[in-house]
Amino acid sequence: MRLFLGQRAWVLQRVTALVLLILLALGAATLLTGPSRSYEGWHALATSTHGAVLIVVFFAALCLHGWIGVRDIVLDYIHAPALRLPLLALIAVILFAIFIRVVLTMAAHFAGGA
Amino acid sequence: MRARSASAPKFMNLSQIRFPVGAIASIGHRVSGVLLLVSLPLLALALDRSLRSESEFEALRDLVSEPWRALLLVILVWAAAHHVLAGVRHLLMDIGVGSRLSQARTSAWAAILAAGIIALAAAVRWLS
Amino acid sequence: MRVSIYRFNPETDAKPRMQDYDVAPEAGDKKLLDVLMRLKTMDDSLSFRRSCREGVCGSDAMNINGRNGLACLTSLPGLKEPVVLRPLPGFPVIRDLIVDMTQFFAHYHSIKPYLINNEVPPERERLQSPAEREKLNGLYECILCACCSAFCPSFWWNPDKFIGPAGLLQAYRFIADSRDTATAARLAYLDDVYRLYRCRTIMNCTEVCPKGLSPSHAIERIRLALVRESS
Ligand code: HEM
Ligand code: HEM
Ligand code: SF4
Ligand code: SF4
Ligand code: FES
Repeated sequence: MRLFLGQRAWVLQRVTALVLLILLALGAATLLTGPSRSYEGWHALATSTHGAVLIVVFFAALCLHGWIGVRDIVLDYIHAPALRLPLLALIAVILFAIFIRVVLTMAAHFAGGA
Repeated sequence: MRARSASAPKFMNLSQIRFPVGAIASIGHRVSGVLLLVSLPLLALALDRSLRSESEFEALRDLVSEPWRALLLVILVWAAAHHVLAGVRHLLMDIGVGSRLSQARTSAWAAILAAGIIALAAAVRWLS
Repeated sequence: MRVSIYRFNPETDAKPRMQDYDVAPEAGDKKLLDVLMRLKTMDDSLSFRRSCREGVCGSDAMNINGRNGLACLTSLPGLKEPVVLRPLPGFPVIRDLIVDMTQFFAHYHSIKPYLINNEVPPERERLQSPAEREKLNGLYECILCACCSAFCPSFWWNPDKFIGPAGLLQAYRFIADSRDTATAARLAYLDDVYRLYRCRTIMNCTEVCPKGLSPSHAIERIRLALVRESS
């Protein structure tokens, strides 16, 4: 099986870009107006089921989108396998850790709020 | 033939090449993407702190009181603006909207200028 | 006029150098190639390729004042002086303005640049409707000069693996041909992080094509055809 076809990554990058675009617009609209400018408002929004799910989806899309993006950059500029593979692995691990961190954050506050 | 190519010189001096505006928009998209990605840990941290307590939430809003942090934020505002605008340009061009050369030149200029103006507005607001 | 030219002789030079020439164009000199030919009579060690001198053979592609183009299609009026001439960027230099095109043509051959159709041929010829023929406009005119691929940053970084705009335009020329029956196999071959997907739609290729073609548009069509194929 050819593991790394090009099309899947390309489509995934466009799809995650669209998701990010929509969530950023939504987020900007709610954060800049309305009650979430205060701590109580923001906390209530972020720990509601809607809010928490959207935040996790946002960071998932961000990590995937960023992963494909840096992967392309590494594929362009860094050719030595001895450098490329550890670097890709390091970036993947960091991105994954960030995502887990966000999930933990949301879980902690979500559990506390419920 | 092969052996000669391996030792042959190449002309590859980027400063001697006249880049079209699309190439500038494109490298800006790449640089801004990396900047955003590098700031991703900070974003996750900010999310965490904003939910912890009222004082931490308020502390985040005070970030721009330090000039060096305000400067970093201005750079990130540029990166976000350029990346999103150039990203939307790419998404449209991918489905054939505005992918003719003349239109692509215009949209590249528009993305570069608009991102610059947005960054300038942020700088005026936070740094003055 | 002053012309500054990249010189490299593999037998005597360790590194390339720039050499300035002062030359007075004569009445019949309309294009940059005319000046180069005049220089060649002054200094016969100066090496460059040319043949048709009218934008058909694709052999005198070079970097002219920082942009790739054909010397024979570059008009003298309007050229900024000194006119700086260098070989195509990113290609191995054989001598002066002559570059090694081996890899470029290997990519071209890799996309099977010929009609594939194993059905029994009709009595006279494989007919196309005017609409089907229309689809080949903007594709078949490519003269394989390599101006585009040698101006593509993605090709500079991965010249061995990325097919590059010229090869991809040629690939689409056969994908778009109603008489070709290998479309699915052609698309499957291109579905690869390197071969097709190194392109970041910078459009440097379309900027410099001396025939006014748009490889970036062909690439856009290939990517959309691949999406359609898999959905
Ligand atoms: C509304 C939000 C966004 C949109 C519309 C968007 C769009 C895009 C698109 C279409 C590409 C592919 C461009 C290409 O093929 O050259 C891309 C690349 C990239 N994006 Fe985003 N993006 C968004 C947000 C972000 C964010 C927030 C980050 C950072 C975490 C990011 C990081 C990257 C990176 C690193 C690349 C690779 C750049 C390259 O290949 O040259 N993007 N983005
Ligand atoms: C140790 C960690 C990892 C390494 C070293 C790694 C390495 C790579 C490499 C080298 C490629 C491109 C290969 C090529 O064609 O040259 C690739 C593609 C890809 N990787 Fe990973 N990867 C890692 C983890 C991940 C993770 C955690 C994800 C998902 C969250 C992921 C998703 C992808 C995707 C979507 C592609 C594109 C697949 C395609 O082109 O069809 N990878 N990876
Ligand atoms: S597409 Fe244009 S620039 Fe590229 S090889 Fe063909 S004729 Fe030359
Ligand atoms: S559009 Fe694609 S093929 Fe053309 S110059 Fe840009 S990256 Fe290269
Ligand atoms: S000499 Fe034939 S294309 Fe210029």
